[in-house]
Amino acid sequence: MSTHQNKVLQQWPVGLLKPLLAAWGLFWLLMILVAVHDNFGGPVVRWWQPLVWEGSSALVLTALLVIMLRYSRRQQALLATPWRWFWQHLQWLPLLSGLFVLLTYGLRHLAYGLAGLTYEHEGWLMIWAYETLKLALFLGLWLGVLFGLQFFAGWHEQQGRLLAAQRTLAEARLLQLKSQLQPHFLFNTLNTISALIPTDPERADVLVNRLADLLRGYLSLDAATLVPLREEVRLLQHYADIMTSRFAPRVAVRWQLAIAALERSVPPLLLQPLLENAFRHGVEPSLAPVTIDIDARVDDDVLVLRLRNAPAAGGHRAGAATDGNGIGLRNCRERLRAQYGLAASLTTEQQGDAFIVTIRIGASPL
Amino acid sequence: MIRVVIADDEAPARLKLTRWFGMQADVLVVGEAADGLAAVQALDSQRPDLLLLDIRMPGLSGIELAAQLDPAIAPLLVFITAYDEYAVTAFELAALDYLLKPFDNARLAKMLDRVRARLRSGASAESAVHVENAVQVAQRLQQARGPLTRLVVPAGEHLQVIAVDAIDWIESDDNYVHLHLAQKRHTLRRPLQELLAQLDPDRFVRIHKSVAVNISAIATLEPLFKGDHEVTLHSGKVLRLSRRFKAGLFTRLGRTVPLAP
Repeated sequence: MSTHQNKVLQQWPVGLLKPLLAAWGLFWLLMILVAVHDNFGGPVVRWWQPLVWEGSSALVLTALLVIMLRYSRRQQALLATPWRWFWQHLQWLPLLSGLFVLLTYGLRHLAYGLAGLTYEHEGWLMIWAYETLKLALFLGLWLGVLFGLQFFAGWHEQQGRLLAAQRTLAEARLLQLKSQLQPHFLFNTLNTISALIPTDPERADVLVNRLADLLRGYLSLDAATLVPLREEVRLLQHYADIMTSRFAPRVAVRWQLAIAALERSVPPLLLQPLLENAFRHGVEPSLAPVTIDIDARVDDDVLVLRLRNAPAAGGHRAGAATDGNGIGLRNCRERLRAQYGLAASLTTEQQGDAFIVTIRIGASPL
Repeated sequence: MIRVVIADDEAPARLKLTRWFGMQADVLVVGEAADGLAAVQALDSQRPDLLLLDIRMPGLSGIELAAQLDPAIAPLLVFITAYDEYAVTAFELAALDYLLKPFDNARLAKMLDRVRARLRSGASAESAVHVENAVQVAQRLQQARGPLTRLVVPAGEHLQVIAVDAIDWIESDDNYVHLHLAQKRHTLRRPLQELLAQLDPDRFVRIHKSVAVNISAIATLEPLFKGDHEVTLHSGKVLRLSRRFKAGLFTRLGRTVPLAP
């Protein structure tokens, strides 16, 4: 018996089995109370008789419920086609009601007999028809509840699996990000430093340390943990500083960061690919100077991050700003979805020559 | 004196080179360019002996630029790149000199020694071969990267870059080609065959021994006698499609060739 129960418990999400059993218990308590109340003080009926009527029904139906739970678990594949699911359960109704009548009335006869009384009732055929009708209504109600609970359990399980798959994907993406430290970036930065050594050794020293900080930041990242935006911004600023040294005077980076926003958490390296895109597709192919604006603010408890790159007034871009942006954006979107589900979004927008990426992250991660 | 032009879009990278060349007694840096277009202009106005050419530049890449140089007047070319395995392999195969960023002074000295040696041998075969090789390698690299989208053309005293899409039709004139745009005409010193090899074959199609047309500039086609056709462009210009090239054009227009009557 206990192994059987364990099996049922294992199969059912514990969170769902408990309310189901509680509702079941409450339902029968009410039935008994109503029956006792209805017949209270009646001349013909003794006080314990309603208890026997309802108690026998409850006992037999509880046994049937446990069997049904087991049976129903095997029918889970049919949840997608509700009519077949209900039919699979309801086709047992004639047999069930026969069994029910036999067991319940047997119990009642036994109880009355023990008290030295006779349990009087209509003819067996009439009883069977009457109980079948009642049982049909009763089963309909409880099957509805059962169906709802199982459907929810299935959905919940699927959701969990989906989320786990997305997390795995997001981790893989981060790994890819870390390993794809652009060789172009690295070698050009080293060349810049090499150029600065004789003319501006202090600046060269600063850049060496920025680069080291950046590399250390990349290497120590962990996909599972969120980082404060403050930390993400620190790496971004190092990257921007290096790139500005390389491309000055063709680029200006402006920051507008609200303190409240800096305290919020984000997945690590979330903005990095977007800033890289802004340089690779905004600054590098542009003949005119480009301005990159990075804003972070909290709006109605939603973290809003905005990255905008646009040619400075008067200039215009040679190619479309979105060329080749796709992978970085998709990557970013997938990571947001894995971490926050529907609570976060990423949108892009082309305003004339300006290309704008906006990320919104709601208050509570999934 | 060796006259040098340096083309790199990153200022520190140029600074490093100008500084080093400044310390060499026999070298004069006569021009610096921060993009491909400026490099073309510097090349045009300074006629240097040596061009140091970064591959990744805005406006016109180093490869695009080199692929369009006339070997007869091109300087010695040394390509610079931070990371481009494909290009580096091509340079090595053609025994071209190239600089990989970052590089040190010893590497620069070695490069300059080679340049001196080549220039000392004057207009000897070796130097000419080197330049020709460099242009050919660039053309090959450019073809691997896709057809040219921009062309360097002379415009009066200067050079200018035009979008290939803006060309309506191309007319061959011995070793020259005339590029006909809606309003302007540019002349390039290159054979038609060679230019067409670098352009998108689905866009520029030969319709006559001496004429190629931009397919998107065509308005109508009228059959003439003997299988020839009259091609009218949106600009109103009328060209002749000769029988020989009919199949090529019709295929590209997505039509089957009508049977000869």
